[in-house]
Amino acid sequence: MSGILSETVEPSDLKKFEKIYHEQLYKNDVTPKAQFEYAWCLVRSKYSSDIQKGIILLEDLYKTHEEGQRDYLYYLAIGTARLKEYTKALNYVRSFLLIEPGNQQVISLQQTIKKKMEKEGLVGMAMAGGVVLAVGAIVGVGMAIASKVKS
Amino acid sequence: MSAGPYNYSYIFKYIIIGDMGVGKSCLLHQFTEKKFMADCPHTIGVEFGTRIIEVSGQKIKLQIWDTAGQERFRAVTRSYYRGAAGALMVYDITRRSTYNHLSSWLTDTRNLTNPSTVIFLIGNKCDLEGQRDVTYEEASKFAEENGLMFVEASAKTGDNVEEAFLETAKKIYQSIQDGRLDLNAAESGVQHKPSQPGRNNLTNDQQTNKDNCAC
Repeated sequence: MSGILSETVEPSDLKKFEKIYHEQLYKNDVTPKAQFEYAWCLVRSKYSSDIQKGIILLEDLYKTHEEGQRDYLYYLAIGTARLKEYTKALNYVRSFLLIEPGNQQVISLQQTIKKKMEKEGLVGMAMAGGVVLAVGAIVGVGMAIASKVKS
Repeated sequence: MSAGPYNYSYIFKYIIIGDMGVGKSCLLHQFTEKKFMADCPHTIGVEFGTRIIEVSGQKIKLQIWDTAGQERFRAVTRSYYRGAAGALMVYDITRRSTYNHLSSWLTDTRNLTNPSTVIFLIGNKCDLEGQRDVTYEEASKFAEENGLMFVEASAKTGDNVEEAFLETAKKIYQSIQDGRLDLNAAESGVQHKPSQPGRNNLTNDQQTNKDNCAC
């Protein structure tokens, strides 16, 4: 129960669409529908290896199946954003908006990604600050011990 | 920080379903932004929206999943039904086919949600009276026969949009009060957050952060 970048796929759903895709792959006859459904589940996985796989499948669809390109771009943006590759994600969003400017769904995704970047930028800085403090403390303790040993 | 994101005590999950072009996303947009999207392209997959409302003095956050109506998305959008506390089932009063498909949407909803899920039927585009293709009486009878709440609304004028979302929440809240809805069940579609103003508790702070980036 949360937003578009943080909800995760149910493992049973992922399995279901994986099975369909693999059956078709075995027969060497993968339909864009099966590939998209499987990729859509993969990019919502909690494992980054799954998301990466989903992105590869979507990139392939984007090149080979013109009809669904807006869908593929949208989920490529979501997949890359979930991997925290925000620059890439925003590029996909921008390509989408070149074709369909003013698409509210995509504009709202763009805002969500930007908000997340800002937030994580701050969190990153705070964490770096924490590390500096911790290193400082260790060095301090070390020096104290060293001076004690000397004396 | 007084209007912080954890100024609510419950989260309710909603889904919006129905044929393509009936105005699901426009209803969501009208409800969350109080604006009408005149030129609304087909939704890709699912869209997400939130708004905090108040029922009986309790602040409730609605997390709304708006599903694409196009058939090719249907297999995957079905997985969003799971754990919905409320389902808004929409048809277009000017297109009979969207009304005729309701029984199939209803079957899906009943199969994929739990018995306590509140289903609210919305006849959208009631501003287009001249093009009406489904009478109010007919739809009202269908709703009654199937135990659904029902209203005709207009995402364009905003008529009854607020009511549909709020009445659904009231009904869910009522179920909680009556003990018919088990909050501990994973699929109830409701999360209870004891209201915790201020920063008393680290776990709650983290929860809040998570919610914050979610939407």
